[in-house]
Amino acid sequence: MIFVENLNKKFGPNHVLKGIDCHIREREVVCVIGPSGSGKSTFLRCMNGLETISSGSIVINKHRLDDSKTNINLVRQEAGMVFQHFNLFPHLKVIDNVMLAPLKVAKTSKEEARAKAEMLLTKVGLAEKMDTFPGNLSGGQMQRVAIARALAMDPKIMLFDEPTSALDPEIVGEVLAVMKDLANEGMTMVVVTHEMGFAREVADRVIFMDQGRIVEEGTPEEIFSSPQHGRTQGFLSKVL
Amino acid sequence: MFRPFEWQDLIPLAQGAWLTIQLCAVSGILGVIFGLILGIARTSPSRIARWISTIYISCVRGIPVLVIIFFVFFGIPLLFPGLEPDKFASAVIALTCFAAAYVAEIVRGSIEAVAKGQSEAADALGLNYWRKLTYVILPQAVKIMVPPGIGFLIGLVKDSSLVTVTGLLELTHAGNIVTNLTGDPIKTFLVVAGMYFVICYGISRLGRLYEKRTGVHVDPLKLPEPAGI
Amino acid sequence: MALYFGDLLPYSSLLLEGLWTALYITLVAMLAGSALGVLVYLGKVGPGKPLSILCTCYIEAIRNTPLLVQLYLIYFALPALGINLEPVWAAVIGLTLNNAAYTAEIYRAGFESVPHGLREAGKALGMKPGQIVRYIILLPATRNVFPALTNQLILLFLASSIGSIISLPELTNAIMSVSNTTYRTIEVLAVGGLLYLGVSALMSLASKRAETTLFRWAVGTHV
Ligand SMILES: Nc1ncnc2c1ncn2[C@@H]1O[C@H](COP(=O)(O)OP(=O)(O)OP(=O)(O)O)[C@@H](O)[C@H]1O
Ligand SMILES: [Mg+2]
Repeated sequence: MIFVENLNKKFGPNHVLKGIDCHIREREVVCVIGPSGSGKSTFLRCMNGLETISSGSIVINKHRLDDSKTNINLVRQEAGMVFQHFNLFPHLKVIDNVMLAPLKVAKTSKEEARAKAEMLLTKVGLAEKMDTFPGNLSGGQMQRVAIARALAMDPKIMLFDEPTSALDPEIVGEVLAVMKDLANEGMTMVVVTHEMGFAREVADRVIFMDQGRIVEEGTPEEIFSSPQHGRTQGFLSKVL
Repeated sequence: MFRPFEWQDLIPLAQGAWLTIQLCAVSGILGVIFGLILGIARTSPSRIARWISTIYISCVRGIPVLVIIFFVFFGIPLLFPGLEPDKFASAVIALTCFAAAYVAEIVRGSIEAVAKGQSEAADALGLNYWRKLTYVILPQAVKIMVPPGIGFLIGLVKDSSLVTVTGLLELTHAGNIVTNLTGDPIKTFLVVAGMYFVICYGISRLGRLYEKRTGVHVDPLKLPEPAGI
Repeated sequence: MALYFGDLLPYSSLLLEGLWTALYITLVAMLAGSALGVLVYLGKVGPGKPLSILCTCYIEAIRNTPLLVQLYLIYFALPALGINLEPVWAAVIGLTLNNAAYTAEIYRAGFESVPHGLREAGKALGMKPGQIVRYIILLPATRNVFPALTNQLILLFLASSIGSIISLPELTNAIMSVSNTTYRTIEVLAVGGLLYLGVSALMSLASKRAETTLFRWAVGTHV
């Protein structure tokens, strides 16, 4: 589903991703962990073209991201993205946030988009908040709307960049629950997270990144119980 | 009867520019002093002080500078017979009246910005109002007053051109006089505009330098409204 | 000295006419200037390098010179080039050109202050740049610039008094001519000042109202 080969990303002289190789299969849930500044967000953002690639290749569902002929907007419709800071559109009601892309990008009919949005909002437990503006929601509710908004384009893949880092501890759970449901339904997911409990429980595979490289990857069991690499051990001993 | 614009015409213009600078320096300093007092009064716990300063600030900011200048220039001799300030003094009084109100708004904005987080911390330490103001709030507020203060100073220089109506020989009036001699308003006022530009742009460069040195930057949309056009 | 306002009564219509002139000149200059400001802003942030430099120079030139000198240049200098302008036109053109530079800067600040994340969220949904601007950026940016724009309207209204120096028959001009005929200088300045104050207070009140009704979504958000 996603093939990443020798991916390199530089910001000026700053070499942030140094030769990432990675293959993510359909219906797989991959959690990416690692210290701050290791390049996790950059890696994720490369996967839907929010960052341009310096060298190497990414293929998502047969779309080559490094090929300038690829229509990046088509790729983005297949890879939904959820941000740390939600990035909801403040001037649109919750339901309109969810309907915007289906209406303007996928050009679905209004009725269809609305039915879909209602269905998704019900799914994330926010059916009664449909007609409020994002400014009146709690952080957890905003992030659930953001998830519904990304799902509205029927993505094949969902990318999450620290979706719970900006939330109060007591509402992290409600967002993780929605993500867990999604994983159980068979969505392909790449999740950058600091929630080790979530990674252990939900992930099929955990990738540990440090200084722009994938240092170690394996099942949650392998990574959390018997990490092979010194840097993984060091990182885990600090966060667990 | 006219003679062409010549190099020597730059002399009265330069003298005018110098008077403009003096005028703005004096009324700027006085404006800052009175503006600080007004701005502190505007945020003080005393209701009367707040009222008086609010009324003054809103009145001055709702009336054109030109009308204030007329008020001072014609009004003072009428209201206080025997008191006849010269042109420079009238101009200073008028510009100070106006400057104080704008500085007060900047002071208020900065005090409020700092007080948001720091006021309660100071209260918790048991500092009284004046101690809190002098030791905690003002030292921090002064730093963020500078960038909008620079904007205010530029506004003051531009608005000082209006005292030309009193006949004070500042830069714009010097331009009028040179125009009368040469009959060449284009050249004259382009030179005048150039001189204003040098003064104002110089001040704004100083502001940038300050922002770079201190890292204090103020979002232009959050500024107390700019003074003068 | 005794104040007496009765002498002003016969001139009340003159003052009101002056106020009317000030108001419509302000309005015209605001509309034309903020439209021109859009073009200047687009020129400045657009891809054309020479145009961008030109627009920046324009903005800086206007913002660093007094409006009065700009009006002089238009009013006294243009006839020397063979263009004769009535004071009304000179004032409208001057205020419009002046206003355009200020509004261009307001637009720039407004667009820059929209969080970058909104743009990214739009991109991630597959929206094209034009759609992102139209459906995502435009309204939050408008909200951000709205207070600054209405403030600019008030500043422009007050600045219109400078038109009196080039003999535009607006309110300040009317004040001074009433003062010259009645010698009730203090009284007429007080009345005139109150008129200015009242109108600018009304404008500010109306803009606060408009802000809360137009941007109800923004309650509780900081965009
Ligand atoms: N737009 C950018 N321009 C320049 N440098 C950038 C940019 N974005 C990220 N970087 C740099 O790339 C490196 C990796 O950043 P990245 O955000 O990918 O780390 P991260 O692993 O997501 O960290 P965190 O856990 O703090 O989110 C950092 O050194 C950062 O400074
Ligand atoms: Mg990150």
